[in-house]
Amino acid sequence: MSGLEGEVLGIATLSLKVALTATVAACLLGIPLGFALGLTRFAGRRALLVVLNTALAFPTVVIGLLIYLLLARRGPLGGLGLLFTWQAIVIAEVILAAPIATALSAAAVQAVDPRVRRTALTLGAGTLRTAWTIAREARFALAAAVVVAFGRVLSEVGAALIVGGNVLHETRTLTTAITLATSQGNFSLAVALGLVLLGLALTVNVLIQLFQGRGDV
Amino acid sequence: MATFEVAGLRQVYAGRTVLALDALSVEAGARLAVVGPNGAGKSTLLRLLAFLEPPTAGSIALDGAPVSGRAARRVARGRVTLVEQRPYLFRGTVERNVAYGLKVRGVPAAAARERVNEALRRLRLQELAGRDARALSDGEIQRVAVARALALEPLALLLDEPVSGADRAAQHALLAALAEAQARRPLAIVFASHLLEDAYRWADQLLALHQGVPSPVTPENLFRVDLPGTSPMQRVAVGPLTVEVVTDRGGPATLAIPPEEIVLSTSALQSSARNVIAGRIVRVAEHGAAIRVTLDAGIELVALITRRSFDELGLAIGTTAYASFKSVAVRVF
Repeated sequence: MSGLEGEVLGIATLSLKVALTATVAACLLGIPLGFALGLTRFAGRRALLVVLNTALAFPTVVIGLLIYLLLARRGPLGGLGLLFTWQAIVIAEVILAAPIATALSAAAVQAVDPRVRRTALTLGAGTLRTAWTIAREARFALAAAVVVAFGRVLSEVGAALIVGGNVLHETRTLTTAITLATSQGNFSLAVALGLVLLGLALTVNVLIQLFQGRGDV
Repeated sequence: MATFEVAGLRQVYAGRTVLALDALSVEAGARLAVVGPNGAGKSTLLRLLAFLEPPTAGSIALDGAPVSGRAARRVARGRVTLVEQRPYLFRGTVERNVAYGLKVRGVPAAAARERVNEALRRLRLQELAGRDARALSDGEIQRVAVARALALEPLALLLDEPVSGADRAAQHALLAALAEAQARRPLAIVFASHLLEDAYRWADQLLALHQGVPSPVTPENLFRVDLPGTSPMQRVAVGPLTVEVVTDRGGPATLAIPPEEIVLSTSALQSSARNVIAGRIVRVAEHGAAIRVTLDAGIELVALITRRSFDELGLAIGTTAYASFKSVAVRVF
């Protein structure tokens, strides 16, 4: 393996690690919240939906800047020493992707036939089992929420640059590497990295599709 | 002990009272038919008895114990099951659907499989066990939903329009399975229907609802019509027939022709009755000292006459009879 290949592989691996970690964390936060928003009625729900929909369109560089200020040495969380680490990128991307997972899963469970909930309840299911049954019925739409969240974090560049710093072997992801290669005029490397990024996106989506299809009759 | 004991029940949606039922008692093993036109409050009553929603006021006791509060309703839902008018089957096979409630209750897999097979067999659904639940006909969906409910051996089974989507054979299988389930153990069945025929054929207790309150009118011969509203004496289309009624109303309404107001004869009567309708006798049922005669005249009309009149007129299934009733006897809601 040449040095360049090794470098690309390292960048791709880091990108995947950051994207998967951020997607899992965003979905763990967002999907239960989406369920609560989609299935229950409480005071402030509408206001929360407005905030959520605004968060969907939040500029990534603004999130990057906010996280930078939080994690900077003199910032409130500076003591954690997370700035310019891959974990910092994950934090920023969770903030970007969690609203997507929340909004899309709320929409997904709201679109489920209301009879699903009543049927589960009348067959004796408790709250958690009912939610699980609804999730099963909405699994295609929920998988779409995961895919969109993953797409958002995998393709994200602004926040990753600001809080990651594009440090080789540490925080250089595929997108930040493409930005750098392009600015240096190294277009063949930029295109190669772009193709790797596309390949990754395709592979993960195919895997999710396969997972979705399982268990269907 | 009564399975359901209802007192002072009120359900209000958006300021409108959709159900007001002062008292209702359903014994273990009873068959209660809740009849009435669409929007009468039948489904609301079933949802309340299924403990899917809390009543605005009043109480429901299940098996002698009052059920109030979220936790109590949750427990009660484990003992009562509702099959909706258009039941929902979950993704997956028929078998998986029937097993759902058993899995919820933590019944061990082997015992659950046995109960699922038993329920499928009783509803004559064994061959569909491995089929995708989404690929079934309406009648099959209905039967799978009933099998799914019966597999749980509930204290009470609530059915909303249970035979609406089924053909005759499926209806028969369904009713036979319910009768069989009741023969095995005390099971209260409450079913809502807009078909009075079902109710009379099958129930031993009847609750007629109209606009959310028990209706004082015998819920036989109820017809949804569109009143022309041209004059107080109106000619109204009821199926293929025209019926004369006296009312000031116009627009959509319900006509009720009380069975005891219908005079049966073997030839057309010359009388003051404005409505004389010929039909073939299709059913005859004892009703205490009286006989309930169903006439097929394009619509089904039920007349209540004494056994003596029935015998003296020589009426029998298949013979033609004339039903006469005055236009002022027709009630309009």
